[in-house]
Amino acid sequence: MEWKLFAHLRDAADGQSVSVDIEEDATVETALDALLASRPALAEEVLDENEELADHIRVLVNGEDPFAAADGLATAVDEETELALFPPVSGG
Amino acid sequence: MRPDLDPEQLDRYSRHIIMNDVGPEGQAALLDTDVLVVGAGGLGAPVLQYLAAAGIGRLGIVDDDVVERSNLQRQVIHGDDDVGRPKVDSAAEFVTGLNPDVTVDRHELRLARENATDLVADYDIVVDASDNFATRFLVNDACTLSGTPFSHGAIFQFEGQVTTFSGDSPCYRCLFPEAPPEGTVPDCATAGVLGVLPGTIGCMQATEVVKLAMDYGETLEGRLVAYDAAEMSFEEIPVAAKPDCPVCGDDPAIASVADASYEGRCSLAED
Repeated sequence: MEWKLFAHLRDAADGQSVSVDIEEDATVETALDALLASRPALAEEVLDENEELADHIRVLVNGEDPFAAADGLATAVDEETELALFPPVSGG
Repeated sequence: MRPDLDPEQLDRYSRHIIMNDVGPEGQAALLDTDVLVVGAGGLGAPVLQYLAAAGIGRLGIVDDDVVERSNLQRQVIHGDDDVGRPKVDSAAEFVTGLNPDVTVDRHELRLARENATDLVADYDIVVDASDNFATRFLVNDACTLSGTPFSHGAIFQFEGQVTTFSGDSPCYRCLFPEAPPEGTVPDCATAGVLGVLPGTIGCMQATEVVKLAMDYGETLEGRLVAYDAAEMSFEEIPVAAKPDCPVCGDDPAIASVADASYEGRCSLAED
């Protein structure tokens, strides 16, 4: 499946999308683990000091917020799911 | 609302007035709207250009910077002769030169906890065209706490984010509750920015302001457009009200800008 990245996360991952292999019972969380295993430099950008997804990084599942529309990081995903990590930007 | 327009205004704004969906009433609404533009840089430049041309009655410009040569690649209201001058002076001159109908308020200062509430209260609509998270969270909080609609635009290299908040709920903190730790998300000076990018995003912000002023069309309320100039693609990201939002949620921890700190993470004040 594919993760889409925005803004400075593209620099950290060296690309705007990253393909990862997932298991059959994958969730957003295991797909995120697979992404960070594939692109370790991203971990510093998207995880907080407790190794959890940082408050300022939005995760999107098929363009929607899984914390509002589904089960958050426990939301089931498959090969067809579009996942994205979206940070704020500040330039003007 | 002004009942009539003078002959010069009928001429100047004729291409607005001739449209059924704008008409003299829409133009009069624009002339009766006061807009505060926070930042006279890359985003502020096209915002000020088009709002001035559209005949927004009063434009407030907030900026404490002077024009630098490295600004001119994108900040199109400032010229080579303006290097070293306060941006508010250069911007005000541009606006007056384009449209003497517009009253300009120059606020040569940095938006701060001490002045934000009073400044915002003096305008109908606010445009966040700033270049740092501290100002962005302060604009959000001051506008949301006072119910003032505002346009949010922000840029990074080839990418832009633009959305509109009604002043009610959701707000920017529903999307991003706190600023990223300092130094993690690079600014334009560090990361660079495509010169034309703020032109695109700023024009979208100006479009939203004009629609808000005329109460016309569908704004970006509830959705954020993520624009990628490299791909020439637009994606929409939903912006939903969060019940635990510290500003517009059910039990907000921030009841005034005095309750938050606008340094670092822009979270609750320590005192």
